[in-house]
Amino acid sequence: MSPKVVPWAVVAATLLGAVWFAAAMTVGGDRSALLIGETTDAHHQIEIACETCHAAPAFASAARAEKALNRGCRRCHDKELKAADDSHPRKKFRNPRMAAYWEKLDARLCTSCHVEHRPEITRVGAVTVAMDFCVACHSEGDQDVRADRPSHAGLGFETCASAGCHNYHDNRALYEKFLVRHAGEPWLAAVPVHEASARQRSRKPPSRAALARSDAIAPEAALADPAWLDRWAGSGHAAAGVNCGACHAPKSGKNATREKILARWVDAPGTAVCEDCHRPQARTFVLGRHGMRRHPRVAKPRNPLRQLRRIGLSQVVPDEVASWLADAAPPTTMTVAEARIPMRPDAAHRALDCGTCHTPHAVDTARAAVEACASCHDDSHTRAYFDSPHYALWRAELAGEASPGTGVSCATCHMPGTGRRNRIATDHNQNDNLRPNEKMIRPVCLDCHGLGFSLNALADAALVGRNFKGTPAVRVESIDWAKKRAATGKRETGG
Amino acid sequence: MKRTSLTIAALAFGVGSALAASAAAEGISFRKVADMLYQVMSADREVYTRMVVQRLTVDNKVVTASEHFEDDTALPLPAQMFRFGAERVMDETEDFSYALLSLNPINKKNGPGTDLERKGLQFVVDNPGENFYGEEELGGERYFAAVYPDYAVVEACASCHNGHKDSPRRDIEVGDVMGGVVIRIPIK
Repeated sequence: MSPKVVPWAVVAATLLGAVWFAAAMTVGGDRSALLIGETTDAHHQIEIACETCHAAPAFASAARAEKALNRGCRRCHDKELKAADDSHPRKKFRNPRMAAYWEKLDARLCTSCHVEHRPEITRVGAVTVAMDFCVACHSEGDQDVRADRPSHAGLGFETCASAGCHNYHDNRALYEKFLVRHAGEPWLAAVPVHEASARQRSRKPPSRAALARSDAIAPEAALADPAWLDRWAGSGHAAAGVNCGACHAPKSGKNATREKILARWVDAPGTAVCEDCHRPQARTFVLGRHGMRRHPRVAKPRNPLRQLRRIGLSQVVPDEVASWLADAAPPTTMTVAEARIPMRPDAAHRALDCGTCHTPHAVDTARAAVEACASCHDDSHTRAYFDSPHYALWRAELAGEASPGTGVSCATCHMPGTGRRNRIATDHNQNDNLRPNEKMIRPVCLDCHGLGFSLNALADAALVGRNFKGTPAVRVESIDWAKKRAATGKRETGG
Repeated sequence: MKRTSLTIAALAFGVGSALAASAAAEGISFRKVADMLYQVMSADREVYTRMVVQRLTVDNKVVTASEHFEDDTALPLPAQMFRFGAERVMDETEDFSYALLSLNPINKKNGPGTDLERKGLQFVVDNPGENFYGEEELGGERYFAAVYPDYAVVEACASCHNGHKDSPRRDIEVGDVMGGVVIRIPIK
């Protein structure tokens, strides 16, 4: 290349780059190269749907962009914070009398503590402030917790949220009155049964509706495979009167004739047919990491024609070029390979939908509650489960040697049943009670264990790694302090 | 219970917004708007305390009132009801804000946080029947602020505060000033 050409080539490359950048930002196209840093765990699944979080128009002011960003956080996370009886809700800090605190740590904004694309400072829970963040508001004047609580005098602020005593948002199992009420409980209840699981597992389908092998309505080719038929006939679907057409010919309608079912038969129906009947499960599935790519708040791909119209270039850019600028269709499922925790290599190709855990014809919830998890997850906690007391209890229950609800599967703790009376559905958001792990205490642990034991066990990371085989080596003192304050008429340790 | 709380909050918010809008349209003074807002808040607060909490917890003893009212299947405390309303208003508008504070709060976060709050709360204690008015700058914005006395209107107020383990004051009698309602309106 001639030396004279080089400067022109640089100018041309720069111009082309600028055009690509402007087009990617304002019209459409792959923007993954523009990511300013690795996205946090879970959010990485939706990182190419930038508008989910960055909802402000292009070139909006910084203040407007920040507001839109935080509105994006709240659109997805507000409900869970409300359910957690958030100890530091945004509304508490919006009153102008809190202005002095805004300068220390502006709790009106999620982004004060959770900054995206900053992996170098991101800790568990996507927290990006230093571990002693409580110091901002609880270390001076009347709010100085060390002066108010003698037991806290020598404690470092970095221990508030790391010692099993406090969480910033969810303190439902940690507030003082709760600690006192559950003080002195034995480590194991006299009748250790997980109530929701017991009700789920002892629930029987209506016997009148049950279908037999001979009742199956399907094309001859499908009926010719005895394995499929056997699995279906032994499944909860057959027991509940759900015939083949309900899933394979959903458009044939209820009470459809054999002819109509066969005419509208679909060999491999999608998960929409599952969602039609299992709505609570489908609704919670998209809230967790397994299914969040289907969350209704995830931004849809940009329409380049509409984007061009918005900036007044729809008449200038030919439709062919516009369609070339379209965003890639985002994947609707997560693959195991995309997980950021240890997974089995042989499961890497699996995409997560209903059928991944629930083999469609053999609707075996026991398999879905343990083996399905272990077929993908390969961390120490999962591996240790099969040598844990919880697993021994699970095997005993499955063998009919123990009552329903006495066994502890992966799902017992990570996907417990929710709801009231007989309307209990498995919470398919497996993250709902996971972080911080004290969220698990009320819906799960306390059914079988005392609060003190539960706090100690969950605070012992090594014991969690061994899947609770052994006894806690950590002692959380909050119950002792709360009891002491209650006895002396002074409050001690709150949520 | 949540429905009752929300209804009262919605009423307070509706009246407050109407007053604020009316003030802007007709040039009513900040002081007059704050006074009217206080009348609504004070009436709602007294009605809940007298007709719900006092009647059901002290007179008829059919239910208790508790800070952890959901876990305890109890009534929200009157101060919580007031706070829920204030927070609900903050969700809807920044035209005004209010809070229930005290020089002797059970929960320390309800103590005075600014010089004006401290001065105003002391004023309503020292000058029975009078209100305190002033201006202050918070977060780079100027506010008209008014502080009104908050009284122990029934026995339930006095007995709960006197008996609470975190209460700095144990000698409250019915009719005493326990704290103050602080109302702020941004001066734009």
